[in-house]
Amino acid sequence: MRNPLSPSSLLAGASESSYVRSLVVGTVGVLALLGVLGVAFPESVAGDLSRIVFSTSTGASTARLAAPIVLAGLGGIFAEKSGVINIGLEGLLIISAFVSVYAASVVGVGNAVLGVPALVVAFLAGIAASTFLAAVFAVVCIEFKADQIIAGLAVWLIALGLAPFMSTVFFGGVNTPNLGVSVGWQYSATLVVLATVGSWWLLNQTAFGKHLRAAGENPKALDTVGVSVSKVRYAGVLLSGVLSGVGGSALALSIGQFVGSGETMVQGKGFIAIVAYLFGNYNPIGTLGAGALFAGLDAMQIRLQQLGYAVPDTLVQTIPYVVVIVVLALVGRTQIPEAAGEHYETEE
Amino acid sequence: MSDSDSEESRGQSVLARVVAPFVDRSVAERLLISVAAILLSIVVGFALVLVSGRIAGCSSAAWTMPLTGLGFCYDPIEVYLVLFNGALGYPFAVGDPGLFTPGWTPFNLSFGLTLSETTLLIFTGLSVAVAFRAGLFNIGTQGQLVVGALATALTVLALAPLLPAGPVAGVVLIVAGTAAGAVGGGLWGAIPGALKAYADANEVITTIMLNFVAANVAYVLVLEVFRAEGSSVVATRYVPEYAQFRPWLFPASSDFALLALLGGVVFIGGLYYFVEHTSLGYDLRTSGVQAAAAEYGGVNAKLTTVRAMTLSGALGGVGGSVWVLMSEGRWMASIPDLGFDGITVSILAGNNPIGVLPAAFLFGVLKGGALEIGFRTDVPTELVAVLRGLIILFVAMPEFFRMIGRYTGVGGARGAGGSGSTEPDEPAGGDGGETDA
Repeated sequence: MRNPLSPSSLLAGASESSYVRSLVVGTVGVLALLGVLGVAFPESVAGDLSRIVFSTSTGASTARLAAPIVLAGLGGIFAEKSGVINIGLEGLLIISAFVSVYAASVVGVGNAVLGVPALVVAFLAGIAASTFLAAVFAVVCIEFKADQIIAGLAVWLIALGLAPFMSTVFFGGVNTPNLGVSVGWQYSATLVVLATVGSWWLLNQTAFGKHLRAAGENPKALDTVGVSVSKVRYAGVLLSGVLSGVGGSALALSIGQFVGSGETMVQGKGFIAIVAYLFGNYNPIGTLGAGALFAGLDAMQIRLQQLGYAVPDTLVQTIPYVVVIVVLALVGRTQIPEAAGEHYETEE
Repeated sequence: MSDSDSEESRGQSVLARVVAPFVDRSVAERLLISVAAILLSIVVGFALVLVSGRIAGCSSAAWTMPLTGLGFCYDPIEVYLVLFNGALGYPFAVGDPGLFTPGWTPFNLSFGLTLSETTLLIFTGLSVAVAFRAGLFNIGTQGQLVVGALATALTVLALAPLLPAGPVAGVVLIVAGTAAGAVGGGLWGAIPGALKAYADANEVITTIMLNFVAANVAYVLVLEVFRAEGSSVVATRYVPEYAQFRPWLFPASSDFALLALLGGVVFIGGLYYFVEHTSLGYDLRTSGVQAAAAEYGGVNAKLTTVRAMTLSGALGGVGGSVWVLMSEGRWMASIPDLGFDGITVSILAGNNPIGVLPAAFLFGVLKGGALEIGFRTDVPTELVAVLRGLIILFVAMPEFFRMIGRYTGVGGARGAGGSGSTEPDEPAGGDGGETDA
């Protein structure tokens, strides 16, 4: 094992595709510094900060907030690796968040359908809604050759209108009433870890993963060996729908409510997810790390407010967005798949 | 070129010259696609209203489907009648004898509200359009508008005490406020431009993030520093009456000023001239169409990117100025989604500045009509937000309409009217997409 802070290791991290390593090194470094400062000056801000960072409640809310970011980010990897840039992840999160809460309220918490508990039904309904919307997006992009960015924006804006619309139809307001139950953070954390490992396996260890990468990098080659490029791309986009559905449902059910005012409760997490996987350079593990970092920042600002620091909460909420911009400016050139964003015409 | 084509008859040549910039094949086709997209989204919205009316609970059915006898809580026909008729102040008599409502004038409250939305959407639509022409997706018009609006409100409030109250001071304040809005929005737009040019950061993401940042920072600034005393909402003080656009002819509560609309039209003309007839505009267009070729031709692509985003942000900022000086009279926290609607307007307009005018009016009708839907029906006004998304989705898939056109023979024939060569090769591509499945 090399010393992670040694110059040679840092140098390696800055070069080529070692974003993941620099991410890990950076995060560990900051945490270690904070820990040392916290132990040395327990009465200072650093002391409070380190207590926040290492407290279990921060960990719990990090897991809760990381779920939509990481899961949507993993979905985004599948879509983009296959050659379809899915900027509509935000919309998928919004629609699944609403539908999951709606399904739970229809079934009634505590009831079961065919032996399936209400919250599981809620999860499945959220996933189904998100996957359906992703399927529409896929048809529009692959069959009708729409501009992927504009179509993705449309997915976001449709969900941004549809979820509050349906909420008003069913519940008389853009916010749903609270279900009175919430899914614990342990479940979110488990889902996130399982999905990350599963995605890594699917991308790197299976034939499907190879096809997916080929569809994004060199669709012609894939076509030549007789694999349908559009089928692979459909699979990639649908997977992004499934994973975002899990993320959106987890977000809403961890609170037990859908909030539809303004930018809805999703509040840009779908876009942060895009940055998370870019930052992780399309690597599921890196996406998990980046997602946890962004979620951790968010969780920290919530705790800071609870401790009564006189920082206006709105200003602290802005930190993750600024970090995303800074990260994007620093990471900038990621290795975007060669054929991402382009339509592919099968040659006869 | 268009002149030589149209020398067959004098009348035709005049007409051709007037419409020449808009009537090459692609523009005619875009127009057709935009209209088709609107119609299709209305149809889907119709179905949505029906379905949600089936699920929502009500005591008596508002509409019963012919033949089936199924009852629905919402009447989609009424919704659209209220939407389009109401947006104009009910010029058409529905249910009453006669086609027109007697005593209807265009200077009514509802039509004023519609035109007010139209005016604001002209600016945000132009903002998105100019970035699109340079090949940039500016999703950040919303944030640029928020910053521009705040800059305007603060500038006017700061300058007002220095000048004697009166119409002259009003003109000075409006000009200064609008300039401040343009500078504020322009600077906010320059940030993602510079990040794109020099750090290769995707402008779609950075502009969306900057929207959140702008909203939050402006909110905190007003909450902590500039909040009006005794105000129950987070808002600045009102700017003086004489420094606001006056609602000539229209009722004051419509928040609409003809002068501002006129200003918007001037901006459309100016931007059209800039994009189509100046060398800077040429640089902008070429880097939008073919960045590498533009660079080869001596265009500084990085600088063009920053310039385009700055101009785009400045237009969004002016939209914010108009919002403050015409609609609200102050900066307040709940700023409507004008920037996002500007995306729809621009896409509907095919990113053509001239097209922004009808697109903004259409969207103004939708927004004005949404208010009427809220007053007169039980259908949630969020319907219009759904329509916005659907319109963008449908405009984004021209291939869909081409396919329909090919099957029915309608679209193809109309598209061919613009010029001799439609895409005869295109069907091969479309079929290829299906055969490989």
